[in-house]
Amino acid sequence: MAENSTEKNSDNTIAEVKNLDFYYGSYHMLKNVNLYFKKNSVCTLLGPSGCGKSTFLRVLNRMNDYTEGAKLKGEVFINGKNIYDKSVDVVELRRDIGMVFQNPNPFPKSIFDNVAFGLKIHGIKNRDFIVERVEKCLKYAGLYDEVKDKLNKPALSLSGGQQQRLCIARAIATNPSILLMDEPTAYLDPVSTSVILDLINSFKKYYTIIIVSHNIQQAGRVSDYSGFFLDGELIEFDEAGSFFTRPKDKRTENFITSRY
Amino acid sequence: MELQSQEPVFPANKGYLKRKKFYNKMVVFFAFIAFVIGSFPVFHILYKAVAIGYKYLDWSFISTLPTGFPIGAEGGIFNAVIGDAYLIVIASILAIPIGIGTGLYLSLFGKKKANGVLRLLNELMLGIPSIVWGIVGFYIFSTNAGFGFHFGFSALAGGLTLGFIMTPIIALLTEQAVNQIPASYIEGALALGATKWQATQAVILKAALGGIFIGILLGVMNIIGQTAPLLFTNYYNTGMPTGVTGPGGAVGDLAMLIFIYIHEPSKILHYKAEAASVVLLLFIFAIDLGLRLINYLTKRFIL
Repeated sequence: MAENSTEKNSDNTIAEVKNLDFYYGSYHMLKNVNLYFKKNSVCTLLGPSGCGKSTFLRVLNRMNDYTEGAKLKGEVFINGKNIYDKSVDVVELRRDIGMVFQNPNPFPKSIFDNVAFGLKIHGIKNRDFIVERVEKCLKYAGLYDEVKDKLNKPALSLSGGQQQRLCIARAIATNPSILLMDEPTAYLDPVSTSVILDLINSFKKYYTIIIVSHNIQQAGRVSDYSGFFLDGELIEFDEAGSFFTRPKDKRTENFITSRY
Repeated sequence: MELQSQEPVFPANKGYLKRKKFYNKMVVFFAFIAFVIGSFPVFHILYKAVAIGYKYLDWSFISTLPTGFPIGAEGGIFNAVIGDAYLIVIASILAIPIGIGTGLYLSLFGKKKANGVLRLLNELMLGIPSIVWGIVGFYIFSTNAGFGFHFGFSALAGGLTLGFIMTPIIALLTEQAVNQIPASYIEGALALGATKWQATQAVILKAALGGIFIGILLGVMNIIGQTAPLLFTNYYNTGMPTGVTGPGGAVGDLAMLIFIYIHEPSKILHYKAEAASVVLLLFIFAIDLGLRLINYLTKRFIL
């Protein structure tokens, strides 16, 4: 364990996954995954549908806890702590790890309440602080100018792209250190997609971003690191430059050149 | 090339093409007939009740207590109207929190295997005949035999028994309403670090409110027409109740009033029973409209 982390320059590593095995009932979903994430980088996890990349993402913030029959072996360190340790408070953990889903899923509440939700559930009652924070997050997410006059309108009245940016604003409101994104652009049109990809690039300064995607082009546009999953195995993990231009594994090359 | 050969690849079955239109018409026809036969009793009840009971249908019929001999020959049915209000309020106080709680537990919190058993129990409760509920209520609430409540024949004993009938209906509808909410709502809340209760109260309850209202509505409409459970727990009172337990705690009830009046050998009471059944239908209609309005207003202005 010690030698591994020195190899990967441990002070810069925010999350590390060791010998992770994941089962749904008797189905072996993730097979011996070893992986690390660097601070303030964008990492994309690629792979065909059903290869386990979304499951892997949900391992990182323990969203699989509620899935019946889910079983996990191995260790997941975030900021040096094993998040599957008994002493870890899931609620605190998720405050530190934001998540954006494939479907834009704003709550059936007003735009303001959507962003303020994360603050309120963590016990923040100071109204001025909440207003300020909501405004700031909406600005970060590039949505403020479009919605500043209708903060009390229902969030579901926004367009798909706007809803997804609202979800991003909601996720960053609690100031997480890691942002997980599960195919955030899968259901969006090209323009909205482009806006979100630009957002991801600008967010690198503040957060570590882990994206699951099956769009190779988009992944190539934003990532610093890339991993390729196939049938629950992590085939290859490397810096984006060499991953996309000189993949070491034949299967990775086949996927990147769309020969699957 | 092969596709261009003279032989059709997919030969048309001309006879079937004609017949399928006929089948379609048949199904539409049967659906219409079924609707006519199914809705006939409703119109028949309405017609008979209004045609026979119209003489007594006015405001004083609802707002005065029954008098005369046999009792009810003069005056109105106010005892039953006020009694129904007692029973609905008491039943709702018991059934709404327990029913919603059970429904939420089934859909959100419980484990799969245990939930199967609980759901079966809930369905069993829905199927228990109302007369059996009457016996259960009698033992638990009216007599000393059960838990020592000994409420006697009273609004409390009757209302709580009706509450038991209402609970599984609300539980079932709540569970269905919550299950229909997209899983992404609760996942979104949980991913932000909400506890299950925070997610429930902030997101789920609001989104499921419509369905829960329908559950309450169906529950109230069900118990307002129940007679059998009240036979052993409340029976009937021709005057105003003096309390909610013990002697004098019994209340009148529209369904009970109809049952008793029809048994009396008196033409005028039979007419009044018909008139009372119209009032009962109007009651159900009013509760339906009222709850729908509340549901609409909460959705429109509060959420």
